[in-house]
Amino acid sequence: MTAALALLGYAIMAGCFAPALLAPLTRRGASVRPGLAAWLSAMASVPVSAALGAALTVKAAEADWPALTRLVCQQVAGTACSPQVYRSGLYSAGVAVLAAASTLVVAAALWRYGRRTQRAVASTRLHARAALLAGRELDGAGAVVLDDPRPVAYCVAGRPAAIVVSSGALAVLDKPQLAAVLAHERAHLAGRHHLLATLTRGLAAVFPGVPLFAKGSVEVGRLAELAADDAAARSVGRRALVAALVAIATGTAVPAAAPVTRAVPPGALAASGHAVPARVERLLDPPGPAAAALFGLALALASAAFILVPGLLAAAA
Amino acid sequence: MRGFGDLEAVIMRRVWDRDGPVTVRELYEELQRERAIAYTTVMSTMDNLHRKGWLARERDGKAYRYTAVASREEYSARLMGEAMAEAGDTEAVLSHFVAAMDGGQAEALRAVLDRLAGKRPS
Repeated sequence: MTAALALLGYAIMAGCFAPALLAPLTRRGASVRPGLAAWLSAMASVPVSAALGAALTVKAAEADWPALTRLVCQQVAGTACSPQVYRSGLYSAGVAVLAAASTLVVAAALWRYGRRTQRAVASTRLHARAALLAGRELDGAGAVVLDDPRPVAYCVAGRPAAIVVSSGALAVLDKPQLAAVLAHERAHLAGRHHLLATLTRGLAAVFPGVPLFAKGSVEVGRLAELAADDAAARSVGRRALVAALVAIATGTAVPAAAPVTRAVPPGALAASGHAVPARVERLLDPPGPAAAALFGLALALASAAFILVPGLLAAAA
Repeated sequence: MRGFGDLEAVIMRRVWDRDGPVTVRELYEELQRERAIAYTTVMSTMDNLHRKGWLARERDGKAYRYTAVASREEYSARLMGEAMAEAGDTEAVLSHFVAAMDGGQAEALRAVLDRLAGKRPS
């Protein structure tokens, strides 16, 4: 019983406080893959230990039903809880209904998660299919072009997957910049980032009250962007990637020879929640190898803890 | 890139490129000039496209005459609409390269670039 309750306690603690531990470790993106691993293992450990804890609690309750009903009764009613109350059929039936209701709530959440995930996968595949059929093939690039003046580039998983570039995006990109965009999108597909997004966003949508799921799904998306940036920077160079980011984000071509700064149009001063300044800063002024190693180690330890703690608790049960 | 050689895409593009409806026989004869292909393959592929909602068909004597359910431009516009919508509005999972910025965000980016101007690697 103690281990079962400890597992439930772990699920609540991790669900609430893991973001406070992980967010500072992944904020700068010094160590992207260990960062992804840590967020994902934290997010996975919560439903797993909650389910294990609940299952063990039910098992213990079954084994010791009379004592348990008495305990619950005394907790609620104190000394007013007499044997006449907790031995009555009405009281047992009430506890049984409560147990059935909580089982139902869990089953409903699981069902919603499954259905939501399934729908997301289906519409994602449909989008990819439609893009490949309706798009114009981009010569030798393994991507399709859709006509739209707005600059847009994205990839969408499917069988097969598609990389889509709008004609508006093509108009503001030179050749190396286009290569940078395509390398970034190919890295998303190769890393199966759509799968991570689908699974984590589903958790956040089905359990909106859990801070770890809300923050984690956003952070996983952000780290996946950084992972794709790193892959693209390795294959085409940082400069072309930064120029491509600025060109698409601002809708202005960035000449290869000119400083990137000149392409950014002036605007009103405002606080920005946009990811581009942070991504550009990280590409042009990347964290050093020492920082990467240090953050990587801390994140690896965190991942290990999210797996070992519930694992050991379950083993102790 | 996989996908472009696939027959469904080839057939859809040919249907779109025509003005009027087309029969399996007509498309088969067109395709046969460029590749070795069986009539039944063309027929079953067009039947699939009909079943999936891409092609409409009506009977004309012994054969079906096929037309596209929507034009290529209409599909393009629909896809772009889905791609531009905020994440909450669409169920499809799209990985955008980067989102468009407004003036204030551009200003923040400019500040970052100015600060890094001296350090930029080549």
